[in-house]
Amino acid sequence: MRCADMEARIGALADGELVEAAARDVEEHLRSCPTCRAAHERVLALRTALEQHAPPLAAPDRLRAAVRARIEAPAVPARRAVAWRWLAAAAALVAAIGGPWEVATTWGVGRALADQVLATHVRSLMPGHLTDVASTDQHTVKPWFNGRLDYSPPVSDFAGRGFPLIGGRLDYVGGRPAAALVYGRRQHVINVLLWPTGTGPAAGPAALTRQGYHLLHWVGPQFTYWVVSDLAAPELRQFVDLLQQADGATPP
Amino acid sequence: MERDQIDRFEVVALPHLDAAYTLARYLMRDDAAAEDVVQEAFLRALRYFDRYRGGDARAWILAIVRNTSHTWRKRQGRPVVEFDERVHSDAVETQTPEAALLRAADRDMVRRALDQLPLDQREVIVLREIQGLSYKEIAAVAGTPIGTVMSRLARARQRLEQLLGVAAGKE
Repeated sequence: MRCADMEARIGALADGELVEAAARDVEEHLRSCPTCRAAHERVLALRTALEQHAPPLAAPDRLRAAVRARIEAPAVPARRAVAWRWLAAAAALVAAIGGPWEVATTWGVGRALADQVLATHVRSLMPGHLTDVASTDQHTVKPWFNGRLDYSPPVSDFAGRGFPLIGGRLDYVGGRPAAALVYGRRQHVINVLLWPTGTGPAAGPAALTRQGYHLLHWVGPQFTYWVVSDLAAPELRQFVDLLQQADGATPP
Repeated sequence: MERDQIDRFEVVALPHLDAAYTLARYLMRDDAAAEDVVQEAFLRALRYFDRYRGGDARAWILAIVRNTSHTWRKRQGRPVVEFDERVHSDAVETQTPEAALLRAADRDMVRRALDQLPLDQREVIVLREIQGLSYKEIAAVAGTPIGTVMSRLARARQRLEQLLGVAAGKE
């Protein structure tokens, strides 16, 4: 056996990829050839170094959530399935916060609304719930709401500013249907819930953090907004600034 | 796409998310880029899911991650083959036995050496040494014959040894 041909076979031996006869041949050669024996040792040593310093990695949780969201995004879920999942999520939330009466009596309207908005956001991240209309085109998303709501929500795409439009969804908050607009920021999902000011539930301006999610709320001259995301607060404020510029409203 | 098909896809593909991320991270050498690649790869996988006929789901997903990584790097205008020749001149001349030197390499040295490996060599090393794939599986992921996997791995190991300061002691 010529040493020049050995490199790949030495590796294959270390990898357990040689059939028995071939492995025996290489091992025999190693016994008689110090150069190849040293090469074999280097392969094993390199393996040790890689095991110690270059481990397999775990996908970050946000990536897992984003992949799920994006897998689900193109799907138009069956309405019945949505209803079931909605009930399950709502039940889970009620269990988590100790029952609907507590919400209504001891927490203010704003707190109760915030909980509903948060539940909406979490539900939207569940498989199949992010969007009813998945499109990065504002001229597709906006008309989609025609006939589904008694108002036409302002829809802008902020892709140029790093907040691309992902789509829209019909949701239900505070006892009335609401437009939900979905935006992305890297792997993060931002939900914007809005309804015409004065027609739905209202609460003062608010910035809350709940279960790691940031919620921002304000009442504009035309529309009342809730924005919710796991995005870092400063970036979320940037996004809110864009929304407010687009709607000509005053900041919270 | 039908609901039950998406559910089926999640059962088949999502268990391999960590493996997908590991490959993408080592190929792209950047957290954000790796996450973007994985997202796109899973969307592609979903799109082509009707062509998946059972079999090794991990190799199937990893092949898509690999191809997506290559596409991304081309899009970023990075050459697919790269090698910093200066590293050779930095190679440490030493009397220490080479294997001992390799074992003593610290984390930064190993990561840097991996990062400097040409892409085609880096992917076979990651798939073999970090992810534990067989030659057959690597061949399926990289779309090359098993013989090529074998020789590429040998070159990759040699190059890594050089990058870790061990001069080629053969011939």
